[in-house]
Amino acid sequence: MTVTGDDDVRGGSDLAPTVDVDLDALNARVSAARAATEARGETFYPGPSRVHLAMFPPKERWNDWVEYDAAAWPRKSERRFMLVPTTCFNCEAACGLLAYVDRDSLQVRKFEGNPEAPGSRGRNCAKGPATINQVTDPDRILHPLRRAGERGGGRWERVSWDEALDDIAARIRTALVGERRDEIVYHVGRPGELGFAEEVLAAWGVDGHNSHTNVCSSGARAGFQFWCGQDRPSPDHANADVILLISSHLETGHYFNPHAQRIMEARANGAKLIVMDVRLSNTATHATHWLAPWPGSEAAICLAIANHLIQTDGYDREFVRRWWNWEEYLRAEHPDRAPTFAVFEEILATLYAGYTFEFAAAESGIDAASLRAVADDVAGAGTRLSTHNWRSAAAGNEGGWQVARTLFLLNALLGAVAVPGGFYPNGWHKVSPKTPVNPEHPAVWNELALPLEYPLAMYELSFLLPHFLAEGRGRIDTYFTRVYNPVWTNPDGFSWIEALTDTDKVGCHIALTPTWNETAYFADYVLPMGHSSERHDIVSYEQYDGQWIGFRQPVVRAARQRLGETITDTRQTNPGQVWEENEFWIELTWRIDPDGSLGIRQHYEAPDRPGEKLTVDDYYGWVFAHGVPGLPEAAAAEGLTPLEYMRHYGGFEVTRGVGQIHEQIVPDVELDDVAVTELGRVYSRAPAPHVSYSTGASPDPDDEGRRAAGVLVDGVVRRGFPTPSGRLEFWSSTLAAWGWPEYALPTYIRSHVHPERLEDGEVPLISTFRLPVQIHTRGSNAKWLNELAHTNPLWIHPSHARQLDIATGDLVRVETHAGHYVVKAWVTEGIRPGVVACSHHMGRWKPNRETEGNDAPRPRMQTSDVTLDHDGDNWQLGGRAPHRAGVTGDADQRRIWWSDIGVHQNMTFPVHPDPISGQHCWHQAVRIRRAGPSDAYGDVVADTARMREIYRQWLSKTRSATLVSPTGERRPHWLKRPLRPQREAWTIPTESAGVTSDDQ
Amino acid sequence: MDLLDALAVFAEEPAPTHERLRELLGLSCTPDAATFAELFAFSLYPYASVYLGAEGKLGGVARDRVAGFFRALGATPPAEPDHLTVLLSAYARLRRDAPAAHAADALLHEHVLSWLPLYLSRVRALAPAPYPQWADLLARTLMADARQAGDLSRRCLHLRTAPTLADPRVDGQDAFIAGMLAPVCAGMVLTGADLRRAARDLQVGVRVGERRFVLTSLFAQCPAALLRWLAAHTHTTIDAWRPWAAVAPDTTRWWTTRATTTRAHLLDLADHVAHADPATTGAGP
Repeated sequence: MTVTGDDDVRGGSDLAPTVDVDLDALNARVSAARAATEARGETFYPGPSRVHLAMFPPKERWNDWVEYDAAAWPRKSERRFMLVPTTCFNCEAACGLLAYVDRDSLQVRKFEGNPEAPGSRGRNCAKGPATINQVTDPDRILHPLRRAGERGGGRWERVSWDEALDDIAARIRTALVGERRDEIVYHVGRPGELGFAEEVLAAWGVDGHNSHTNVCSSGARAGFQFWCGQDRPSPDHANADVILLISSHLETGHYFNPHAQRIMEARANGAKLIVMDVRLSNTATHATHWLAPWPGSEAAICLAIANHLIQTDGYDREFVRRWWNWEEYLRAEHPDRAPTFAVFEEILATLYAGYTFEFAAAESGIDAASLRAVADDVAGAGTRLSTHNWRSAAAGNEGGWQVARTLFLLNALLGAVAVPGGFYPNGWHKVSPKTPVNPEHPAVWNELALPLEYPLAMYELSFLLPHFLAEGRGRIDTYFTRVYNPVWTNPDGFSWIEALTDTDKVGCHIALTPTWNETAYFADYVLPMGHSSERHDIVSYEQYDGQWIGFRQPVVRAARQRLGETITDTRQTNPGQVWEENEFWIELTWRIDPDGSLGIRQHYEAPDRPGEKLTVDDYYGWVFAHGVPGLPEAAAAEGLTPLEYMRHYGGFEVTRGVGQIHEQIVPDVELDDVAVTELGRVYSRAPAPHVSYSTGASPDPDDEGRRAAGVLVDGVVRRGFPTPSGRLEFWSSTLAAWGWPEYALPTYIRSHVHPERLEDGEVPLISTFRLPVQIHTRGSNAKWLNELAHTNPLWIHPSHARQLDIATGDLVRVETHAGHYVVKAWVTEGIRPGVVACSHHMGRWKPNRETEGNDAPRPRMQTSDVTLDHDGDNWQLGGRAPHRAGVTGDADQRRIWWSDIGVHQNMTFPVHPDPISGQHCWHQAVRIRRAGPSDAYGDVVADTARMREIYRQWLSKTRSATLVSPTGERRPHWLKRPLRPQREAWTIPTESAGVTSDDQ
Repeated sequence: MDLLDALAVFAEEPAPTHERLRELLGLSCTPDAATFAELFAFSLYPYASVYLGAEGKLGGVARDRVAGFFRALGATPPAEPDHLTVLLSAYARLRRDAPAAHAADALLHEHVLSWLPLYLSRVRALAPAPYPQWADLLARTLMADARQAGDLSRRCLHLRTAPTLADPRVDGQDAFIAGMLAPVCAGMVLTGADLRRAARDLQVGVRVGERRFVLTSLFAQCPAALLRWLAAHTHTTIDAWRPWAAVAPDTTRWWTTRATTTRAHLLDLADHVAHADPATTGAGP
């Protein structure tokens, strides 16, 4: 179609009628249709809602888009592109990207936002467009490498994929045949996908999933999980009247871009923003109220607000009555009282009475009047209160999980749950598609992942792995690190180096990574995997009140397929021999079990071609055709297959306005041979319905095997929440029964950096905050991002700095309980006095080893060569060469104008596993002093013997399942777990029963 | 006013809603996405600021003025306050609310009738079905409404403050071409299709690119002939406003005057160019 422009100019200026119409009659007809439609409860005309994205290249032109080459300016040089969608991989938000693939060269020229991505809506942060830096990084790994000398020695040789695959497959097959299934471990940093890897591990029959969760979000997850059976918040920021963030969520964090744009929409509509953060973050600068509390006191503030709501009758009494498990609480904790709501309210009024504003002020250092003003605003939100906490305080403090639990208490009091502007359990906003691969989960339990001391941990105690190996709890034969860099990311990195260089503890370490990192230096194989435009994944995350699914794809592969080529392997279109994990896993699985005799291979055979290898087209074609409601119909409407639709658009919204799933009435068809407990939990023998969303935790069946199907509320069976009671668990029967009755209610646990627990001269160090434009471990190769942010000075308040005689730029020595590092000071009023902060993002390094061959690592962009020495347990990084520009074909590398790339601080941090959530409690008690004459910028020193000592101190806080398990099992079966071993594996082994953590 | 709401939908991206409304309105067909994109994303941008702003571009002071109107009513301005759909919806809503009649009149006069008649006339001239029919219906509906509205005779602020077309002899060619592409300066709407037609009429080559580039390249080839062609093109404006003289007299007069002035200016320039270089006069038959 073209707009007329040549010789077919129509008349039409005189309003000569092109239709003969009576306007009044027409208006009456439209009005009648509108009335009839609205009488049916439907929307006739939704209002102007689709006018905002007109500035994106219209999708009808994505196959052949013409624009001028910006680099050719002022010449007008046209370039023709195919616009191919994919999904950003530089944080977990999974924002949509459009790759501009040059039609002449078939190279990606740039990345912009994808307007068809429902979560990000075409908008991206700096990290999305910077994908082009990663793709064109001159230092990236292009070929499979195998170490040529001792592990960590820095010598590498190029190997073929076949050599690597055969060697690794043989190791794994030997371990499986030898029933050493707990020796295969896959350790994932940024997952960025919906469970493909878990399926592989399940198919192999290994309980080998190890995630980074315990250095990230276990604390917050625990707080939410015990309340509602879902372990993440999904706030509906866009429709909130009050937004309460315990984080710097506007600029960083999970889903921050999709959330930030909706927070700003709410702000534009008059919403108030309350931010608790020790630092004046970018988020805090937008706040109506910025509270900078003493680290760890956030829960006390939440409880003071809760108490205010309770004492002023400001809570939603009907919501509490219907949905809290108050009756279970009364029966358990107040058996002498009548189990009525009136009694509960009477008790509730006393439970938090001690949490006055004055108490919270004393704990937090914020005056009571300010706290009261915040509480009044929260109270005024009604059900339109959206709250969020993910890392921050929950990840910083011992007992930090109660920060999330007390934060949710505010939503639960106000009834701001699954309503517009409120808090939704995350799974309801997340598509959980069926896939063609459905292996049974393993019959084994890996003690190295979830040991008995941590029965309630929100996922694997992965950051303790070096200590578990050092204690002889097991060994690892084959260890995959995948987009994960524990040496640099985790606390106590020197202990990781000790573990990874000991081939008795780790038989073979395979680093699956697109770029060099501190952990890959200590690998046996480094296998190059693609960036976001070079790999397949599906993603779906909770970002607004809706459900959507996104597709990550190798864009050059997709472009060449559009041009009619047949591509059977992503390596055919990726740079060098860079691969993607999913094809790698399929191929590796076939080599582990080439004849199917282990019963593994058949899981990765094509659904419609038994005996033939599954391809990624088979896999995703099946998922999109069978696992995503509505997608086949939407695709058919455009004459596309579901896979073609997703390859073309990159995203699909399954539904919008999910609403109150807990209130849904369970239909009769789902109720068969029903049993109802005294507390109203409803069990049924009817199979669970298939739903598009993630149902969350898995409440146990009743004693006769019926599944938990709903909960009786005022005589009606409703779906409820995926908790043991089916209700919101104000009182957690799980915490009470599994050894922590004192924390069964939302409460305040004093942090390990509470003033009472600090030694003289110690101050808290906040180490968890991110820089908005950096990627955890893959940012060092993104030149645009590095120009924006490249160092991590120590934030210190002027009053504090004066006491220590420190000025901006001075070198300071930060002493933790097990080491120290030397960094520059930044004196700023943007932090609470008496607290210091340092971002973890910076200080990337490479051991200054003798290297060999063209494939030896030589990252130059944001990495320093260092000496890595140790004398027994005393380790040191030092002797850093000044950062310098590299000499490559990339002219930008010669334009690097900065030399300071920050200091790696995490290696000086001992592990602090929270005894309940398992979260590493990141905040450190440190001493700050001016650097001495022997100190040099970037020095990092730690004592691993002292690290082990502190590990044991924290381990002694645990209450082992062997002592507290009420069921004889290792862990409450209903709690979420990435892999769910078969039930018999949950039983505590006889030889472990009664063993305490001190014994182990 | 339901009719206006229904018509407003058609300046939005086609959605399933369109089919039902098409049927009700009696339009000949439902637009597809490609037709929509070609018209609204590439030819006739449905934003008041493009036609009322001094730069002829999206946003800027013109959009701020529209946003200010929403603020004056105590509402938060929508993300794109000057989009045609938003304006029509807001107008329909105000018109339904009797106490807001004055506000409805103001919106109609200041931000709708100040540019939309010209815009709809160009849609009728250039767009494929069903958009000419839609534009016709919308124009008739607004005209009928305007007849019942209050006094619309005063000149709107956008037009009172509009700059005049630059003189290339004084201000340079860049400023002149920028003005030619800003309807409120030139007194006419020049679409990419218009420029292609100019090239065809003048039998000169057309360079593919955005309008400024195309116009510049046409001037480079045959300035005098092009200036005369553009002078003649002002009739599109004069014709477009003629039916509105009774309901929006001052606005009609303003646009007609602006177009007439531009025509004279362009013809003067053409003479000047021809005098300076007679070889540039005679492109075309």
